[in-house]
Amino acid sequence: MPDPTGMPMTPPPTQAPAVEAIGLRKRFGAIQAVDGIDFALSPGRIYGLLGPNGSGKTTLIRLLTGLARATGGEARILGTKMPSRKALGTIGYMPQSGAIYPELSVAENLGFFARLEGHADRASIDRVLELVELGERKGTPALNLSGGMRRRLSLACTLVHEPKVLFLDEPTVGVDPALRVQFWTHFRRLAAAGTTILVASHVMDEADRCDELLFVRGGKVIGRGSGAELRQRAGTDNLEAAFLVLSGLDPEGNPIQATSGSGAIL
Amino acid sequence: MSASRILAIARRIAQGFRRDERTLGLMFVVPILVTALLGWVLRDTKDTTVGVIVVNQAGEVGQRIYDALVTATTGAPDGVEVVSIADTVDAAKEQIRHDNGDIAIVIPATLLADVTSGTRPTFTVISKGTEPAADAQAFGKLQGVFASLARELVPAGANPPVIPQIKRETVYLTPEADQVDVLSPIFLGFFGYFFVFLLTGVSFLRERIGGTLERLLATPVTRGEIVLGYSLGFGIFATIQVIVLTLFILNSVDVPAIGPLPPFSIGLGVDSAGSPFLAFLIALLLSIGAVNLGIFLSTFARTELQVIQFIPLVIVPQGLLGGILFPTAQLPDVLNTIAHALPLTYAVEGLREVMLKGSDLSSTVVQTDLAVLAGIALFFVVLASGTIKREVA
Repeated sequence: MPDPTGMPMTPPPTQAPAVEAIGLRKRFGAIQAVDGIDFALSPGRIYGLLGPNGSGKTTLIRLLTGLARATGGEARILGTKMPSRKALGTIGYMPQSGAIYPELSVAENLGFFARLEGHADRASIDRVLELVELGERKGTPALNLSGGMRRRLSLACTLVHEPKVLFLDEPTVGVDPALRVQFWTHFRRLAAAGTTILVASHVMDEADRCDELLFVRGGKVIGRGSGAELRQRAGTDNLEAAFLVLSGLDPEGNPIQATSGSGAIL
Repeated sequence: MSASRILAIARRIAQGFRRDERTLGLMFVVPILVTALLGWVLRDTKDTTVGVIVVNQAGEVGQRIYDALVTATTGAPDGVEVVSIADTVDAAKEQIRHDNGDIAIVIPATLLADVTSGTRPTFTVISKGTEPAADAQAFGKLQGVFASLARELVPAGANPPVIPQIKRETVYLTPEADQVDVLSPIFLGFFGYFFVFLLTGVSFLRERIGGTLERLLATPVTRGEIVLGYSLGFGIFATIQVIVLTLFILNSVDVPAIGPLPPFSIGLGVDSAGSPFLAFLIALLLSIGAVNLGIFLSTFARTELQVIQFIPLVIVPQGLLGGILFPTAQLPDVLNTIAHALPLTYAVEGLREVMLKGSDLSSTVVQTDLAVLAGIALFFVVLASGTIKREVA
């Protein structure tokens, strides 16, 4: 099935999983932010982590990247149990916040993160600069960039070392529609080259670009499948409504009485 | 003008404060803590006994004065006690240098002849010279004791009583040394410490709240690498700062009158008795500690304002207890113990040793200060690493 960018979507995998969550849990005081999540993500595919704000998406990513310690279960990246510094060299993480140095120029920001990853060659930096179309802004301090440009720089910093697994937390917020298409074209290209991508978002309009979606609510995965599959299971024609139905709500967001079967789709 | 809008703004501020417990605490608790500390220091500072060394050059007459002085000061009823008698001025200075006495008084060989001929005899008083305030206090006490002794000792018939002249000498510096000369080591330590702490605290807070620290931690970089990188990066600027400050304190360039501007000089022109490089090393070790203290404390702040609010907690107690305003030996016991856990105390002591007394690396005081400052810097490095949370080392 072609995705909206016109590129073929990646076929279902047969290889060993790139990312695994096994009974993953995280509790902050009285709040169970991640509540027993199990999944395996295959190499070379794009996964969408969808859910409302506060549903546990960012915490889940922090557990997978080893930035937070799980209170139960385990996370594995390319077969290595997290946290592991060795595995960190294979991942790219774009946090929700800007996570760039405003006083440094575009090239300096890229150079810094490239050096930390051991990829400080000019070719790597030029390649990502071209990708995010910031080549002409090389010397501009990040402080003077527009919001969208800063997002592009942030993405470039994530990609500079050509990671095998990408965790992108709300990567296209503030990015204009034309560039968003380019982002997704590039994500698709990376996936075709074998990179596994997990994109967290609370907007549904990009979801159909993913090979597979994970609906998250209350720290649990309440639905998994392609966009079409999830719509079909929920009996609706749009993903937002599908999310609500799978959350035990009607398409208007009101609680459904006797929701037999809802939440069982995994 | 709308009263309701004014009230809405005031209410918004009150609501903000209500939820910001840290700021509230710093606003109300810290001033009380700092004021209490200042009160404690001022009220309970120990009135230490001034140890007097007598150099008798006047033979039998001098011996009488010495005996009378010993009798009058036994048990230090006036805060003065004779601790020893020295044969020469140099021997007395040596004793002061080794902290075996605070002040020496030289009874001149010409005493008897002067008094008999009605000439005012000249007594030489020798003090350390590194702490003018303490010297003045000691001198005042000694004068009080002498005034009462004079009435007993002055030969009958000498009328009016002979008031001796006092000549001042110091072991270190000169009697003319001003506050700037004496305080210059403190400037070097205190300002270096203060600005480096503030700069690092704010910078690292920005790493934490801006998401860059999280991104850093998702790379193979280790916590130790981050802390050492920070220490090196800020260390370079701290080094430049210390160099500039040292040059400014130790040098003075006279600028002639330019047009309506009167002539003026740039720099304090203080003479360092010891090696400026050693002074620089002490200030640098202090700065490395400050870098990591900044990283550590940035954990407890959410905003830049809160880092600034740490100043009264971090800087003020060190300013009060670090031997800047009051000698640490005179602090109440509890505060003296606290003072010896603070880096500024060692830096001030070390810088004074080097810049005022001319001590070098062979001095055990300088060795101890350097070792303690290095230890404290290392301790803060470990502490700072501990605040960078990640599940891999």
